[in-house]
Amino acid sequence: MIELKNVSVTYRGGVKALRNLDLTIDDGEFVVVVGLSGAGKSTLLRVLNGLVPATEGSAKVDGIEVVGASNATLRQVRSRIGMIFQTFNLAERTTVLNNVLMGRLAMVPSWRSTFGLWPAADREIAMQALERVGIVEKTYVRASNLSGGQQQRVGIARALAQQPTLMLADEPVAALDPVTSRQVMGDLARINSDLGITTLINLHFLDLAQEYGRRLIGLRDGELVFDGDIADVDDDTFREIYGRSITAGDVLADTDT
Amino acid sequence: MTADASAPEPAAPGGPGGRPKKPRRKPLTLVVVVGLVLWTWFTGRQVGFDLTTFIDLWTNPLWQKFWPIPWEWVLDRGNVIDPLIETFQIAVVATVVGCGLALPVSFAMSRLTSPNGGTYWVTRVVMNIVRAVPDLFWAKILVTAIGIGAFAGTWALSIFSLAVMVKLFSETIDGADPRPLEAARAAGGRHVPSVRAGVLPTVLPSYVAYSLYIFELNIRASIVLGLVGAGGIGRVVEAQRQYFRFGRILGILLIIFVVVFVIEQISVALRRRLV
Repeated sequence: MIELKNVSVTYRGGVKALRNLDLTIDDGEFVVVVGLSGAGKSTLLRVLNGLVPATEGSAKVDGIEVVGASNATLRQVRSRIGMIFQTFNLAERTTVLNNVLMGRLAMVPSWRSTFGLWPAADREIAMQALERVGIVEKTYVRASNLSGGQQQRVGIARALAQQPTLMLADEPVAALDPVTSRQVMGDLARINSDLGITTLINLHFLDLAQEYGRRLIGLRDGELVFDGDIADVDDDTFREIYGRSITAGDVLADTDT
Repeated sequence: MTADASAPEPAAPGGPGGRPKKPRRKPLTLVVVVGLVLWTWFTGRQVGFDLTTFIDLWTNPLWQKFWPIPWEWVLDRGNVIDPLIETFQIAVVATVVGCGLALPVSFAMSRLTSPNGGTYWVTRVVMNIVRAVPDLFWAKILVTAIGIGAFAGTWALSIFSLAVMVKLFSETIDGADPRPLEAARAAGGRHVPSVRAGVLPTVLPSYVAYSLYIFELNIRASIVLGLVGAGGIGRVVEAQRQYFRFGRILGILLIIFVVVFVIEQISVALRRRLV
């Protein structure tokens, strides 16, 4: 359960990324966030795990206040939130397994993780996460030797290894080709329905949003301009969110796969 | 990405807001270049730098005294080879101690990975003080404090290795990719394990390369340190110089050249395989 009340974020230099945002998301929801670059999508996700501190308001994840929380509280909250990044953010020079084990950092004593002495149980969790995204055969391959789609699946496995209650995906397919994009979106949708993990995804491709989303949130200049069922969405809705008409660049196409 | 929100993209051409203005070019580069040229010319005059003195140096009769080389003395084990082995040993220990200590200190001294501002500034100030003292001076102090010999030299070089390594490596960490670290933080990792998981794999190859480079530096530096009584082959060179046995010195230098060359080749080969 996520509860945002009157959340604003102002970056140093005065850029207002979020303005007075109110939002409630229930457990197990699959939410897609759309909006132009700079509309505040990335900021919204990062407020939830405290990577970007809200300048104002209240943000609760599973009942725990994130705004102004102590480092220990933040770590505790973050441990239950898996995050997936646009550019994958893998440590490319080490193995896939080491990358996925990163998802266990919060659950393993520091002296063990610092010296790489991961407990067998945590290795097992990591392997299972890799199995779920179907690339367990790459466990000991260097992350840099994988294709983009495979790297993003490692990113998803890393988030899964946290055994999270919430998944945040920040433009997870923006760096991928259409076919791989649909595979990754399919993975995320399947994980959401199989494991009941609440999922929040930033997208800028409108057709992908309509294809996979169940609830749609639209941001414009840091303000919430749409919140509703994906079934009620049409081109007018997107025009309203984007503040301009829809162009070919806003859709991924290649739908015949 | 945070850049997404903090720096909104300019509006598309023809879209709302229109094209942004082309930013004006800053005249700073030109000012810096002209400043550097003037400064070099001025300081050159101040210290009396000129090229003719350097050319005259080569006609100095001193150079004839370097010939012939007394090979039977140079190749005698006790005279050159044993002190050279001592030099090598000093360099090995100093590299291991210095670079080993440098690993955690460098992470504390990098903006990217320092646990907090206090640690960052304290390590930075301390390491700057250590680096401000020249290695030769460290050797002299330590020879005075703990006596003539390889022990003082090893300590001096360890400190020197630490100072140089920390400078090189912490700047490499500064330039490392911050994205894996963001991922580790997002997973709720504590500071040190997050750095270990997210940053260390990226910078480890540089660490190995720098360590091998420091080792090469230490071989050469430990020869110099011998001149002030810190053990190794440098002490032999200094003794021969005092008695004007320049032929012997040239022989020693040739052997040192061969040894340094061989070590460098091994180091380059290792680096290529590890990095």
